[in-house]
Amino acid sequence: MTPELVKVAAAAADNQWGAIFPELMLACLALALLVLEIALPKKLHVYIPDFALAGLVGTLAGLIVNFNSATLGHETFNALLRHSPGGQVMRAFFLLVAILVCVLARVSLAKQKMPRIEFYHIVLVITGALMLLAQSNHFVMLFVALETVTIGFYILVGYFRQQSASLEAGLKYLIMGALSSGMLLFGISLLYGVAGNSALAGHSANALHYASLAQFLVANPHNFLASAGIVLVLAGVAFKIGAFPFQIWVPDVYQGAPTPVTAFLAVGSKAAGFAVLLVLARDVFASYDWLVIPVLTAMAAATILFGNIAALTQHNVKRLIGLSGVSHAGFLLLGVVASMGPAAHVNATGAVYFYLFAYLIASFAVFGVMAHVAGADDSDQTLDHYAGLAKDNPFLATILAVGLGSLAGIPPLAGFMGKFFIFIAAFDAGARWVLALAAVGVVISIYYYFGWIKAAFFKVWTPSGEDNVPRPARTPVDMVSGVALCLLAMASIFLGFYQGPLGQWMSVK
Amino acid sequence: MAPFLFTFFSLFTIATAVGVVVNKNAVNAAMCLLLSLVGVAGLFVQLDAYLLAFILLLVYAGAVVALFLFIIMLLDTHDSKAQGLNKLSGVAPLAALGLLLAGVSTFVAKGKLATSDLLTVPAAGANLKLYAYQLFTTYLLPVQVIGFLLLIAMLGVIVLSKKHEGLDDTK
Repeated sequence: MTPELVKVAAAAADNQWGAIFPELMLACLALALLVLEIALPKKLHVYIPDFALAGLVGTLAGLIVNFNSATLGHETFNALLRHSPGGQVMRAFFLLVAILVCVLARVSLAKQKMPRIEFYHIVLVITGALMLLAQSNHFVMLFVALETVTIGFYILVGYFRQQSASLEAGLKYLIMGALSSGMLLFGISLLYGVAGNSALAGHSANALHYASLAQFLVANPHNFLASAGIVLVLAGVAFKIGAFPFQIWVPDVYQGAPTPVTAFLAVGSKAAGFAVLLVLARDVFASYDWLVIPVLTAMAAATILFGNIAALTQHNVKRLIGLSGVSHAGFLLLGVVASMGPAAHVNATGAVYFYLFAYLIASFAVFGVMAHVAGADDSDQTLDHYAGLAKDNPFLATILAVGLGSLAGIPPLAGFMGKFFIFIAAFDAGARWVLALAAVGVVISIYYYFGWIKAAFFKVWTPSGEDNVPRPARTPVDMVSGVALCLLAMASIFLGFYQGPLGQWMSVK
Repeated sequence: MAPFLFTFFSLFTIATAVGVVVNKNAVNAAMCLLLSLVGVAGLFVQLDAYLLAFILLLVYAGAVVALFLFIIMLLDTHDSKAQGLNKLSGVAPLAALGLLLAGVSTFVAKGKLATSDLLTVPAAGANLKLYAYQLFTTYLLPVQVIGFLLLIAMLGVIVLSKKHEGLDDTK
C-alpha cells in the first residue's frame, strides 16, 4: 500500500458508530419489522406497528437520557457529521414526529386495503435519514440523507394507490422533488468547483466540508459563482420548506397524500429544511449575509402573505392546512433571518426551535382529529365533514379547537408564545417592515382557522347538495390515539405558560 | 487534438439532446438520449474521469435507457396525438428560453474563473483504488445510508405495483 492509502485507511478510525446510536437503532428496528412480517403468523401482524411504536418511544427515551453525550460539539465520521446541541434537539424532534406519524397511521391505514408493515418500515428509514440530515456537516452527507428522505416520501405520498388523488400527488411530488434536487446539486457543484479552484485564495481540496467552504467564502467575499451556488442551494432548501416561490407543489401533494404522510411532510420535512437552513445560513454562508439576508427576508415576506391569502379560500381541510403550513414556514424564515448578520438576536435560534416544537404539537393534534374524521376517500375531507363534531364527539372537537387555536397563535397556547418569541427576535434584529406584514398575516390566519372551528362547533350537518352524499363515518378514538391526542392538547396549553427546559436547551449554540 | 475532441463531443451531445426533444417517435428519442449520454461520457474521459465515464455508459446508457425502451415498447404510444398548445403554455417555454439565455449569458460574462494550470491539479477520480478506499473509509456512512435508500426504493416499487387482495384479515 502506498503511504496515501495508509493515511486513508487510518482515517476510518474516525467512524465512531456509537455516536449515531439512535439512528442505528432505527435502522435495526426497520429491518426487524420486515423480518417479523415474514416470521410471525398472520394473525399476530396486528402487533407489529405497536412494536415499531414501542421501539421509537424507547429510542427517544434513550436519546433524552444521553442528551449531553460525549461526542457533543465534536465532528465524527471524518467530519461528515457534527454533533451540536441543535442537532440533538432536532433528533428528538424527528423521533417525536415519527411516533406521532405511527399513531396516525394506525388510524388511517385501517381504512385502506394496503400493506401496513412496509409503511412503518419506510417511516423509520426516513426518520433515521432526517436525524442524520440535521447533523450533517458535509454536502455529500447532506445530499445522501436528503435523497433518502425524498425517495421515501415519493413512496409514502403515493401510498394509497387505489385513489387517483394519491397517485397524482405522488407523481407531482416526484417531478417537483427531482427538480429541486437538481437545483440543490447544481448549487453544490458550483460551490465545490469554485472553492476547489487552486487559483483562488482559501481554496480547499475538501470544499464540500462546511468549515472549509466557510473559510473559502470568507476569503472571497463577492465571488459571482459562489453567490450563484448559494442562491441555488437556498432554492433547493426552500422547496423542502415550501417557501414562496417554491410552494407550488404544496396544495396538491398535501391533499392527495395519506393523512399521516401529509402530517409527516408538513412537520418533518419542513423542520428538516429549517435545521439545514439554520446551519447553512448561520455558519457556512455567514460571510455572504449581504446576499442571504435580503433573499431570505423577501422570501419570508412573500411566503407569509401568499400562504395566508391562498388558505382563505380553501374548502378542503388538507389544502387549507397545507397552505397555512406555507405561512408558518414564512414565520420560521423570519426567525432564521433574525438569527443572522451583525444585528442577530441571541435568542433567535432558540425561538425557531421553540416555534418548530409548538408547530409540531399543534399540527399533530389537528392531523389526529383529521385522521378520525376522514372517510375511506382520504383526499376528500372538507369543512362540511366537521359539522356537528362538537355534539357527536366533544373530545375530538376540543382537541381540534386547541390545535387550531395554537396554530392561529391565540394566547395562552404554545403557538402564541412561538410567534411572540419570533416577533421579538425579528423586532430586535430590525426587520420591521416584514414584521408588519407578519402581523397582517396573523390576522388573516385567524379568520380561516376560526372558520374551521366554527364548522365543528356551530354548524349542524345537513345533507347538502344535489346528490345527498352521506358524511363519512367517524372512527371511534381508541386508547393509544386518545392518550396521544390528549397529551398533545395538554402540551399545547402547558408550553404556553412554561417554556423552561425547552428555552434552556435551545439558547445553547 | 484535445480542443477538437472537446468541440466534437460537446456538439455531439447538444445535437443528440435536441434530437431527444424534437423526435416524434419515442424509440428514436430514446436512442438519441443514449447517444447524448455517450457524448457526455466522452467529455468525462477527456477530464481523466474514466470511472465516471464508464459508470455513465454501463448504468445510464446500458441499463436505464434500455429500461426506457422496454417501457416504450410495452406502452402503445401510436394513438397519442400531440396536443395543440394553448396560448399560455406557448408563452411559458418562450419565457423559460429567455430566462435560460439570460442565465447562461450572465454566467459567461461574470463567471470567469482565474484558472491555474489544469495539469497540476490531480485527477482524484482517475485512481480507482483511491476512489474505492475513500468510499469504504471516509464515506462509509453515506454508502450505508444509500443501502437503505435502495432498500426502500425496492420496497416502494413492490408496494405500489402489487395487487393487494385478501388483506382484510390483517386488522
